[in-house]
Amino acid sequence: MSTKEERTRIELLQGTLDLLILRTLLLGPRHGHAIAKAIEFNSEDVLQVEQGSLYPALHRLIKRGWISVEKGTSENNRRAKFYRLTPKGRRQLELETRKWDKLAGAIARILRPGEQEGEP
Amino acid sequence: MRRRKRMMEGLDEDLREHIDRETQDNIERGMTPEEARYAAMRKFGNVTRVKEAVREVWSFLWLEQLLQDLRYGARVLRKSPGFTAVAVLTLALGIGANTTIFSLVNGILLRKPPVHDPDRVIIVSNKWAGNGGEWDRLPVSAPDFLDWRTQATAFSGMVAGNFDDYTISGGTIPERVPGGRVSSNFFQTLGVAAALGRTILPGEDQPGHDHVVVLSDGLWKERFGADPGILGRVVRINGNSYVIIGVMPSAFHLWDFEARMWVPLAFSREEIAPTGRKERFLRVFARLKPGITAKQAAAEMGTIAQRIAEAHPDTNKGWGVAVKSVQEYSIEDGNVTTALLFLTVAVGFVLLIACANLANLLLGRSLARQHEFAVRAALGARRTRLARQLLSECMILALAGGGLGVLLAHWGVRALRAQMNWTEGAVSLAQTLQIDVRVLVFSLTISAASAFVFGLLPALHISRTDLNDDLKEGSRSFTRGGERHHLQRLLVVGQVALSLVLLAGASLFLEGFLEEIRASAGFNSHNVLTASVSLRGLEYYGAPQREAAFFENALRNLGNLSEVESVAVTSDLPFNFPNERNVAVEGQPAANPDEQPRCGYFVVSPGYFETLQVPVLQGREFHVSDNVNSNPVVMVDRAFARRYFANENPLGRHIKVIEGGTKDDWREIVGVVADVNEFLGQRDSRPHFFEPFLAHPAGTMNFVVRTRSSPAGFSEALRGAIWAVDSNQAIASVRTMDAVIADAGQGDDLMAELMSAFAGIALALAAIGIYGVISYMAEQRAHEMGIRMTLGAKPTQVLCLVIRSGMSLTGIGLMLGLVTSLVLPKLVAAGFNGFHASTAPALVAAPVVVAVAGFLACYIPARRAMRVDPMVALRDE
Repeated sequence: MSTKEERTRIELLQGTLDLLILRTLLLGPRHGHAIAKAIEFNSEDVLQVEQGSLYPALHRLIKRGWISVEKGTSENNRRAKFYRLTPKGRRQLELETRKWDKLAGAIARILRPGEQEGEP
Repeated sequence: MRRRKRMMEGLDEDLREHIDRETQDNIERGMTPEEARYAAMRKFGNVTRVKEAVREVWSFLWLEQLLQDLRYGARVLRKSPGFTAVAVLTLALGIGANTTIFSLVNGILLRKPPVHDPDRVIIVSNKWAGNGGEWDRLPVSAPDFLDWRTQATAFSGMVAGNFDDYTISGGTIPERVPGGRVSSNFFQTLGVAAALGRTILPGEDQPGHDHVVVLSDGLWKERFGADPGILGRVVRINGNSYVIIGVMPSAFHLWDFEARMWVPLAFSREEIAPTGRKERFLRVFARLKPGITAKQAAAEMGTIAQRIAEAHPDTNKGWGVAVKSVQEYSIEDGNVTTALLFLTVAVGFVLLIACANLANLLLGRSLARQHEFAVRAALGARRTRLARQLLSECMILALAGGGLGVLLAHWGVRALRAQMNWTEGAVSLAQTLQIDVRVLVFSLTISAASAFVFGLLPALHISRTDLNDDLKEGSRSFTRGGERHHLQRLLVVGQVALSLVLLAGASLFLEGFLEEIRASAGFNSHNVLTASVSLRGLEYYGAPQREAAFFENALRNLGNLSEVESVAVTSDLPFNFPNERNVAVEGQPAANPDEQPRCGYFVVSPGYFETLQVPVLQGREFHVSDNVNSNPVVMVDRAFARRYFANENPLGRHIKVIEGGTKDDWREIVGVVADVNEFLGQRDSRPHFFEPFLAHPAGTMNFVVRTRSSPAGFSEALRGAIWAVDSNQAIASVRTMDAVIADAGQGDDLMAELMSAFAGIALALAAIGIYGVISYMAEQRAHEMGIRMTLGAKPTQVLCLVIRSGMSLTGIGLMLGLVTSLVLPKLVAAGFNGFHASTAPALVAAPVVVAVAGFLACYIPARRAMRVDPMVALRDE
């Protein structure tokens, strides 16, 4: 791994991946690869997920009942598993988002004590 | 688990799919397929690890860890097979013994008769007080019963039964069976229906219509081969023909009112005549009306009885009524209840000792592992994890011990069932005996709980102590945790004390039982065979001379057999409570008829005393010449002579037997014999008198035959000789005199056996307990012993040291146990009627046995300590 990559890419905090998956699925059901791509794309490639670690996270969310899984065919007619946000998962997403905002705000206030809290 | 499998399926496919897509994207970005695939794989990461991570999401972590713990625990336990075997066996014995005994206790005390709504069925008996006692289970006369039935309003039905022996003949050999003459609505009132055919109908209790019979399931199977076409067949009962109308279900059994056939109860004219009030022979059952309590019914019956007593003072004065449930009625013998209580306490002790043992074993073991746990905790094992591992070891022990305990209980109950054969009632009770599930759960819980509590105590200990101390202390084992043995020592002392109490109790019972047998030696019971015959049939009805001829001929036939030394007949066998009669003694007039002496009496043929080898103390035995035509004579026993003639010579004196006025002539006493007891363990002989059979012939007599060798194989010859006279007569109760005496014990021997078994178990458990603690302590002191021996201590001194430490515990336990045991004899004597046992042997023997067991338990580990190589012991740490 090069030093450049280390500078531009940030490893995910534990539990954050769950939040990102839920957020991604808010836009509609997706298959695994599409979720990974969406996270990378939306973070402008800053957040680099080791794509494999997506799967244990998906299964964890299924077990908790926050997402459900269904079989379907993808755009190019290939069989794929689609993951869908459940109502319980939607509530969880709201909760987690609020918690995240609070945390991010708190950390920001500590790191930049003089600045006004504003848009990130 | 199924969901996990479903989720894991297709995971491979998903992952491959993912990588394919990524590869495709990379190709679209312009990579070569090979490059694209490599990049996709790299971005994905380790596929196997991902799969493992997914599997972990779905695994039941705690369950898998538990299984892991169990596997580990099993391995640990297997490594110390001695400890495991002893712990499992201890648990099993505790559970097994408790379940067996409580099943017995519950089976006896809580059973219900197999009738409809048994709680509403009661037994109404006569009650009479006088002569220094009160009897409340007495039978009822026919006129009284009829009065009760018309006057009582508390019952929806009241029925009577006359339970007696009947002879069934025709077809195969004649057979005497217990049977009942019962009211026509007997079965309807009890609420039981026939399994085959019907029961007795109203109207069939009228003379002329009453020749129908209902069979018990057992009789139907044994005598009639369970023939389904039996209905309508005619059998001969007491020489009369009866039509079989039904067969009862196998479960129908009225405990104390043993019957294998029922015929309608048709009262004869004499039975319902005013004089019939004196003939009390009926058992009365009643079903309470809805809403009426047994107490209300008892109150009403009391009033009715009082009214009858006032109307018929000469027959009913002083007679009351007792109302009891079938259950209350059956637990007649206070000794049975006390015996059960003692057994319960004894088996409770066994459970206590077992728990203490388990506690000891587990404590000793975990103290020995303190160091191991300290190390593991230091290496980062969480306390909950350690506790869980201990827990799983306990769980294995509890499961194994519990399983074995259930098995033991199963065998125990089966063995008890086989042992309970002293009366038909006991046999029928034994048939209903089974493992009581509630009891089983209870003892399982108690023992498992003790396993868990004492198994986990050390875990608690770990969380309290400073690990550093433990680790440091571990390197100097001879100072280790001396005060921690306190609990163990306490447990050992308690065990020794408890087992001593149990052993003393058991030997008391054993002593009591042996005493009963010894006290019974009023005659020589060995090599005597007995059999009972009740003459039935019209030819004997009202023909005493024919009855006499039958027995004379049978006696002659038997006497001619070469195996027979002597033979006689008697109206009652010893140990079977004879009939009683009021007597008047010459020159000692009684103030009123109620105060006339009442004595047991036997009718015996010449040669009776010679056959049983009862010494004739004065005068002579009966001759053949003592018959109807000769001067009336009588013999008495020593108790009679002493009571009524004190220091005078009874020979030549006269007594008069009050028999309702017919034969009230004075009879001359021609002989005095030694006392023969009426029941086992009797101390003070009651007076009896004997009448010559040939002067007072009767239809129901018992043969006593003394054979030259063991009478075991003689039964067939005995039957043959009797049937040679009349092949239509049933020969019942063919058994040895020894068996007669043993049966009269009513399970006293079983009680003694059970108590001994418990004491044995307790002793073994206590010995194991002592052994465990001493060997543990010796092991802990191996280092110290090594030093001592290096410094010049002789091996024998080491031996003594270890034994002394063990025996001091045993000694304290013995003292405590002995003090407790001192009250035992009084307790037992208070609980059991007629219990006489010299207590000294029990109180000397029991401590000796316990001390010896304790010594052995110390000796083995002491020997081991003695053989320790000092160098090895010192180098050990």
